[in-house]
Amino acid sequence: MINDRKQAAPENGVPDRRLTRRGFLKGAGALAATGWIAGSAGGWVLRPKWSHASGPIKMGIATDITGAIAPSGNANWQIAQLAVQQINDAGGILGRPIELYLEDTASDPGVAVGNVRRLIQQNDVDVVLGGITSAMREAIKNPIVRRGRTLYIYPQLYEGQECTADLFCTGPTPAQQCDELIPWLIGQGHRRFAFPSANYLWPQLLNAYARKVIEDNGGEVVFEEYYPLDQIEYSATVAKINNENVDCVFKTVIPPGTQAFLKQLYESGFNERGGHVSCVYFDDNSVNYVPAREMEGLSSCLDYFKAVDDPFSNELQTAYDAMFPDTRYLFTAGSAATGMYRGVKFYEEAVKATNGDLDRDAVSAALDTAEIAEGPGGGARMIPGTGHCAMNMYIAVSRAGEYEVISKYDMVDPAECT
Amino acid sequence: MELDAIAKLVFDILAFSSIMVLVVLGLAVIASMMGIFNLGHGEFVLLGAYTVFVFRELGLPEWTGMLAAPFLVALVGLFVEATVVRRLYVAPVIAMLATFAVGLIIRETVRGLIGGQFYSIDEPIQGFIQIGDVSLSAWRTVIILVTLAVMTACYLFLTRTTFGLQIRGALENPMLARASGVSTARLYAFTFAFGAALAGLAGALMVPLFSLSADLGLRFLVQAFLAVMLGGVGTFEGPVLGGALIGAMVPGFQWLRELPLLNALIQPIVAEVLVFVAALIIVKFRPQGLLSKGRI
Repeated sequence: MINDRKQAAPENGVPDRRLTRRGFLKGAGALAATGWIAGSAGGWVLRPKWSHASGPIKMGIATDITGAIAPSGNANWQIAQLAVQQINDAGGILGRPIELYLEDTASDPGVAVGNVRRLIQQNDVDVVLGGITSAMREAIKNPIVRRGRTLYIYPQLYEGQECTADLFCTGPTPAQQCDELIPWLIGQGHRRFAFPSANYLWPQLLNAYARKVIEDNGGEVVFEEYYPLDQIEYSATVAKINNENVDCVFKTVIPPGTQAFLKQLYESGFNERGGHVSCVYFDDNSVNYVPAREMEGLSSCLDYFKAVDDPFSNELQTAYDAMFPDTRYLFTAGSAATGMYRGVKFYEEAVKATNGDLDRDAVSAALDTAEIAEGPGGGARMIPGTGHCAMNMYIAVSRAGEYEVISKYDMVDPAECT
Repeated sequence: MELDAIAKLVFDILAFSSIMVLVVLGLAVIASMMGIFNLGHGEFVLLGAYTVFVFRELGLPEWTGMLAAPFLVALVGLFVEATVVRRLYVAPVIAMLATFAVGLIIRETVRGLIGGQFYSIDEPIQGFIQIGDVSLSAWRTVIILVTLAVMTACYLFLTRTTFGLQIRGALENPMLARASGVSTARLYAFTFAFGAALAGLAGALMVPLFSLSADLGLRFLVQAFLAVMLGGVGTFEGPVLGGALIGAMVPGFQWLRELPLLNALIQPIVAEVLVFVAALIIVKFRPQGLLSKGRI
């Protein structure tokens, strides 16, 4: 059944849909081009252009192609295609090509579990990469790692404390996002912090970590508040920020609340009076949904920004833009796309280290000490025994809608699972 | 509380109330004048917002999109009335479900068209007005003024014009209206389109405050229905009053937290729920709504 799937044309970035007729394929392709990718019925497969005697290495991507966080999920899927195409074009891993399988997790953990199970049970993939929200990671890690006995790589910046065996995290942790940023903020003369936050796990644990770093560095947290995820009225919060003389707002409010919050804060004159806003998931995509003037001077700390100027990152960005010329899904760090790229490359390195042995335990052991020399923003190195990697971090500040890199920190320690 | 803070509080409450009233107006016109609960109302709001986005993508200034939005959304309303709602006047519950389906189609289509992203839309008038120590959002001020104007115009239209009289007559006694030579079918179509136009205007005006996303209208739908229920169906003033009340309670409960005792008691996540609790308590004592039927 697998063999009669059609050869996909990776050039257009839209893979064949399994078990469908030609007419439908055309329609699906057109829909996919406008962001509609047919979902969970059968998943997608992107086959390599050539084959190898021992068959391809099967890589599963489980990400949010549809639903609320589809923009991030699509960026993840696109960068995975680019990374795999580059590996395949260079001769695969030790001569074996990678075959890419996609399952839509649909921004819905309930839907995701069944789809992810199909990756493992039907397609028998060797590794699964994906999941963006922590809720998604929690939902799919058991079907993958425990029951599925398969390696899992999670690419998104997150709240930390994920220490499951055979699960590797390739996005930044709270330590990586706060350890340099907060001393820098305090060095800029900000002492009084406010934590307006969305009411879920990531803000809660990130805030707990950030509070510790702030207090260790002589700052204070004036208030820490949690709002419903879709709250769009923040006048009371903004008044409190101004009345309590907060000088740095460290916010973890997420869309759609974040737009209304930043606008009300800006219109209260906070920014003009020299108030500073910091948000560690803001990246080059943020200007699409927050007007540049309302986030002027906003600081963020991530593993990659477009403005990072090293030859490899530039090349990668150019290759991405060339492969997906009119895409609205940018290659940025906040969407987990950089972590996804890193994940694919880490897996490549690990399989090379096992000499092509795809056995889970062997690859997992190799991943534990793996290192990639190059990646978006620089290379990365797994810290043995932790499942997390050290990577370069950048503090960047928004200037007229574009992030300008202020400082670079080499191989920042994830400080997780030690 | 100092005078500055009180002025700011009044302004914030007035601004959010205006947004709510603007959203509720269209819903109320259709519910009160036609007896149809339009569950697709949120998506008409969304279409208004989307119109501004499309105009901007075409390189036109935002205000042109805001002017065009009510008319374009009215056309969509006419189409929906002619194809769906018209067939279901005899079965209001089915009509409600049908409008829900229409809303779903519109919402998911827009989601597809914008790729599920959020887009910020600039206000035609940006920044804030500084009065002493108080800074007031310029665009929210515009929204307050427009809401007052639209509210007054709607009221005058429904109470003082022949057309308004016919609409009210057709609601009260459709048979008699038809016997008197009034085309109720045409009137209903017009009323539905008018309600849609108001929704379109609401969406177009408020999108700069919240940014465009497919769920923009959905966010307001439940609160708008609550407002209509609170105010009373069948009148014009009722839902408007209901909208203003709900709109005032949303920031109001948050502000209550500034008071020393309530600070610990009301968490932000509880404040939104309190709006519903308060509304339900009012409805419990006035099941027919704040203003009963037949005022206009």
